[in-house]
Parts: sequence; structure tokens; C-alpha cells
Amino acid sequence: MADKMDVDAVNGEKEEETVGPAPDLPAERIITNNFNLINQAVDAFDARFTLRALRNISTIRKAPNFPEAIAIGIRTAFPKPQNNARRVLETMLPEQYKNVQNGEAAGGEGVKDPDVVEIAEVWAYLGVLVQVYLYDTQQYKKGAQFSENFVEKVRSFNRRTMDSIGAKAYFYYALFHENLDPKPPSKQSPVIDIRPKLLSALRSAVLRKDAETQSAVTVLLLRNYISTADITQADLLVAQTQFPSSAANNQVCRYLYYIGRIRAIQLAYTQAHSHLESATRKSPTTGPAAGFYQQATKLLIVVELLMGDIPERSLFRQPALEAALYPYFKLVQAVRVGDLQAFLKCVSANEPQFRKDGTYTLTLRLRQNVIKTGVRMLSLSYSRISLHDICTRLGVDSEESAEYITAKAIRDGVIEASLDHQQGHLVTTAPRDAYSTTEPSEAFHARITALLGMRDECVMAMRYPMNKHRQEIAEAAKARERERELAKEIVEGEGDEEGEEQFEGM
Amino acid sequence: MAEHEVKQILRDLDHLQPATLSQAPNLLSRAKLALLKLDALVPDADTTPHHLHFGAAVLEHGALVSIRLKDTDAFTRYYQQLQSFYALPAERWNSRVGKPKNQAKVTGLYLLLLLSVGDYAGFHTVLEGLEVSSGKGEMEQNEFIQYPVRLEQALMEGSYDKVWGETKRERVPSEEFGVFSEVLINTIRSEIASCSERAYPSLPISNAKNLLFLDSEGAVVQFAQARGWVAKDGRIYFPQQEEEMLAAQRDVMSSSSMVIENTLGYARKLETIV
Repeated sequence: MADKMDVDAVNGEKEEETVGPAPDLPAERIITNNFNLINQAVDAFDARFTLRALRNISTIRKAPNFPEAIAIGIRTAFPKPQNNARRVLETMLPEQYKNVQNGEAAGGEGVKDPDVVEIAEVWAYLGVLVQVYLYDTQQYKKGAQFSENFVEKVRSFNRRTMDSIGAKAYFYYALFHENLDPKPPSKQSPVIDIRPKLLSALRSAVLRKDAETQSAVTVLLLRNYISTADITQADLLVAQTQFPSSAANNQVCRYLYYIGRIRAIQLAYTQAHSHLESATRKSPTTGPAAGFYQQATKLLIVVELLMGDIPERSLFRQPALEAALYPYFKLVQAVRVGDLQAFLKCVSANEPQFRKDGTYTLTLRLRQNVIKTGVRMLSLSYSRISLHDICTRLGVDSEESAEYITAKAIRDGVIEASLDHQQGHLVTTAPRDAYSTTEPSEAFHARITALLGMRDECVMAMRYPMNKHRQEIAEAAKARERERELAKEIVEGEGDEEGEEQFEGM
Repeated sequence: MAEHEVKQILRDLDHLQPATLSQAPNLLSRAKLALLKLDALVPDADTTPHHLHFGAAVLEHGALVSIRLKDTDAFTRYYQQLQSFYALPAERWNSRVGKPKNQAKVTGLYLLLLLSVGDYAGFHTVLEGLEVSSGKGEMEQNEFIQYPVRLEQALMEGSYDKVWGETKRERVPSEEFGVFSEVLINTIRSEIASCSERAYPSLPISNAKNLLFLDSEGAVVQFAQARGWVAKDGRIYFPQQEEEMLAAQRDVMSSSSMVIENTLGYARKLETIV
């Protein structure tokens, strides 16, 4: 959905494009307009129309008369009340909408396209709207049941034009099951039961080369495994499958986030860091997606701390993140100074928040980072310091521990120093001049490759309308013609003029 | 019939003495066969709580025995088999008989095993799973699980004297954990040795004895020779550092080819942009 991202980047908020001035239209009109869009999509075999139709789900679900609008939509699409498809959808809606007179709705619309009845995509679209309605009214059990049958039906259709709608259907299917009791992370949660279904959906999607469903279902499976802490299974899934490169940006962001999570738990911090950084860069930062951005940034901060780097302060100043990241800000402060007591206090004070974010176990691992930073601070500020003082500064229990800890720090390359055992001192060696090594050039190289990679991705993601480039070439040719004529005229003008005037410019 | 056999074997296992430990594998295979007849080796929807209890008890005994016999493969196998029992909800277990008693112990032992082979990723993965399933309160109280967690913390920090202290007889939660103590002590000894190589220019032998938790100076000298250190007039000299420095210096010179390669790459990319 690259063009969506471009729009976001330019305007900073979502735009509804050609469905007219969207806030003014009532929900029913939007739904029926979308039928036309979907028809266009099927005729032109172009997925972008379906995507546009799906985009305004978020506006219409907020409309107060949402169920009514769905009911009217169903009736417009399937005028015959005995139609099986219509009945399946209508049973999900509350009672009062089922018996509204048909004439009223038809009179209001006026346009009844006979083709609309036959197209399965319209039925699928309405099914997704019903799912959204059930989810918003928190009828999870009903929704879960409806989704199961709905998803089976969609899968049996095997139509490429229905792919994006199918992906949304799977999303809500998984979402309903997540909200059923017992909720994850309990091992009895119903999410475990939907795994076989999702796995077979993944298989079919890959066989049918359905990139949208493949990416959506992979992400849902990862979410599923991580929610019950089955990290090994999630890891195996990542190893065995390929994520389609043509997936929508939202799915890519989610996928990167989940992989980052898995790697962080497995102590592969560098990999986790690169994945999470891409996830935060690609994610939209405003609007309803801000929550994802916050979560991804929180995890990114903790992974950076675990790697030994301190995240920049400017990260915490962003308006969207300031409030949410406050406990992490305190955490970073404690780690930066190397103060073990402050660190422990911060962790215990913010424990419920960390548990909710799923970063509690990772924060516990930070203990050794605090100590390492403390040792580093000491070695930077003192040329010689006794082990006893180190012991009091770091807050460790005994001098022996302090000795072992510093020895380990030296071996791990955290500090450049040597220990004098007899006198019980830590003696810092003078720091080597960093610029005489290859370190700066390696750091630059890493940054440059990252930026070049990003630029390549942007260029590949740019999209041009199909025939525009021919127009451009024609225009460029015309421009060149004009220039040539101008140049000729000037040359002739020069020739006409008599005189030996010298022309400076030109 | 099979039930009776299983009960009998369980009683035998309970009364097993250290001297007769070698009979245990025999007993266990018979027990497993009996469980298969009862269809209780792998729990499914229709296994009764009574059979579940038998299955879990037999497997737990098997796990603990294999630790005592130092058979790590068998232990891992038993642990994996027990996972399907532990994942069952509380309702499946009869209130009279209760949940398997040794769950924490077996899990703690598995964590310790992962730690001793250095599989920290596996260690943390299992820990995540525990945290999620039983929540904070239970985990914190349980001594069997806290023991490996404390050890891992101390190992990561580098406070090896804490690790040494933990492996002493009094702190170890139970006999089975003691089996790992030796392995752990060897691990930390090699860790301390490699740290000392980098950190100290030289060490008197008596100090080395204390640092490495060895019993006598002779042992220190032996250890030093095994690691390639030089022992002279009561001091140990660590030779490796100088060579490493030189090697690092040389790299700077020889990396010029890499710098040239990089710069050429930048030039090429700039062409495409401009």
C-alpha cells in the first residue's frame, strides 16, 4: 500500500480519495459506492480499487447507524430476501433491522445494479463489515462462530480479486478468538485451536500465490505463538516460511516487530535491533497507528539498552511518545549512570507497566548492563581506583565480586584496564586514539549502507501510473523541440544583427 | 492389571536406594510399557485423572533418576514428554490426587542443564514460557526455579564468587542439583582463567589459588601449564596479551583494501543518485 504511505507522509493524516467528501456522506451511501468500486476491481483485475473500498471501513464503523447501513447495503446487494447469502449475513445483525420494509430502502437508493447480486466479492465485503460490527459491539462468541464459517467460505472461493478482503476476514477471525476466555497467555486459550486452520490457510495462500493472505496469515500466526510464549514454534515458522516481498507496508511493519521480539528473547540483540528499527521507521506515527509505533519504540529502547547503547534523548521528546515512554525514560537514566539502586527501584515501581508491554523479562536482563556501565564510568573517571571503592560505588556485595566483575568486564572489552591484585587496584590504561584505527570508517560505512539501502527501497516502492511515462517522454521531446527552435532563432537573430557586438552571456 | 503393575513399580521407585540406582532404567521401561497399555503415556482428551497422575509420576521419576545417573539425553527426553502433562489445565487433575508435585523441580533441573552447556537463548526462552504461564507470584516463591535464575544472573554479571557460594552444599535445593555443581565449577574456573589472562599482567601463585578456587599450589601450577601460562618464581605470567595487540595494529594497515573498496562503492552509488 505504498501510495497510502506517500499520502500519509505528505499530509500527515489519512485521506479519503474519490469517494466524495467522505464526512458528509451517510454510511449507506459509502457502502453502496464501494460496491461500484469493487465491481471495477473485478472488471479491471486491479487490487487498488478493493483497497480503496476497504480503506473507509474505519470511517463508517464510527457512524452511529452502522448496523442499519449494513442492513441497507445487504438489501441493495441482494434484493431477494430468500437469498441464502443474504440470510447468512442478516442473522448476525440485531433484530430490528431484519424486518425493515424493502420498498423504503430501494426508494431511497434508486440505483439497483443487477450485476451487484452475482459478485461474490460484494458478499465478502459485507461479511467483513458484519465482522467489524460484531467486534465493535463485543459479541465475541457470535463473531468467532460467524468468522469460522465465513473464512471457510472465502477460502473455498479461490478468487484472486477477493484476496484483500479475505486477508481482512482472517484478521478479524483471529481477533475474535483472542478475546474469548480463557485469554492468552493461558495454555488453554482458544487461539491454540485456530492454529491448524491458520496453517492450512497459509499453505493454500502460498500455493495460490496469494501474497496478501500469505502475509496477513503469517503475521497472525506469529502473534498467536508469541501470545502463548511458544517462542520456539514461532522461530521455526520464521525459518520455514518466506515472507512475500510484495506485502503491504502494514503487514511488513508487524512482521518485523514480531521477528524483533523473537530475536530479543533469544538474545540475538543486533538482529532484533535492525528489525525493530526498520519497523519503527516504516510505521505511521500518527493517527490510530500511533499505538503500534509506541510499542515498537518501547521494545527498540529496551533492545538498545541490552546491546549497551544508550538511546538518544530526542527519541523521548516526540509528542506522540512522550507520555507512553516515561517509565522507559527513567530506566534509561538509571542505566546510563550505572546506578544499580535506582535501576532496581525503577524496575519494581514500573513493574505492572513493563509486564503489560511484555518487556519485563527483558528489563530484568538489564542488571548486568547497569553494572557494566558503572564499571565503564569508573574506569573513565579514575586512573587508579581501589577495589573496595568499586565495591561501594557499584553496590555489589563484596570485594571479591567486584574483582571478578571487573576482570570479566576487561575480558569482554568493556574497559581497557588492568588489575593489580596485591594492592587491590584497578589501573586504567590510556585510551588509544580511535582515529588511528578503522573504527570511524566502519561506523560511517554502516550508516552509509543503511541509508543507501533505504533509498533503493524507496525508489523501488515508487509507483507511476501506467501511461504517464509515455506522456512524459512526449513532453520532454516537445520541450527539446522548443529549445532547439529557440536556439535556432537566437542564432539567426545573431546573424541578422549586423555589428561586431560581443555577446557576453549565452 | 496394568494399573496394579504401575502402582507396584511406582512404589519400588520410591523406595530406591542410591546403591540400587542401576535397576531404575529397567523398572522405568516396564512402567512405560504398562502406561502404554493403559493408554496414558501421552495424555489426550479421555485420559482419566488417575491415569494422568500415574503417567506424570512415572515420567518424573524417570527424569530425576536420569539426572542422578548423569544421562542428560534421557533427561531431556523425559522433560519433553512431561511438557504435554504440564500444559494441561488444572481441571484435568483430580482434586484428591493433585497436580504433579515435582514440576518445579524438573523444570529447574532443565534450566540448570541449559545453563551448564551454555545455551542461554534456550534458557531465556523456557523462562519466558514459565513467566507467562504461572505468573509472578509462584515463580518468585519457588526455590527450585530461583536457583538457576540466580546462578544465571551471577554468571552474567561476572560475580563468580556468588556462583561458587551457590554450589556449596547448604545452598543447593536438592541432591539432583548437586550433580551439576561440578560442571558449573569447571565452567566458572575456565571463565575466571580467561578473564585473568586479560586483566592481570601477572599473579602470585597463592592469589591464583584463591581466585581459581583450587585446593593447592600444585593444582594451580598444573592448571597454568594446561592453559599455556608461564609459572616462574612463585608468579604466573600471562603471555597472550602482547601478541593480540600486535595483531590488532597490523589490521589497520591491511584494511586499506577494504577502505578502497568501500569508497569505490560509494562513488558508484552516487552516480546512480545524481
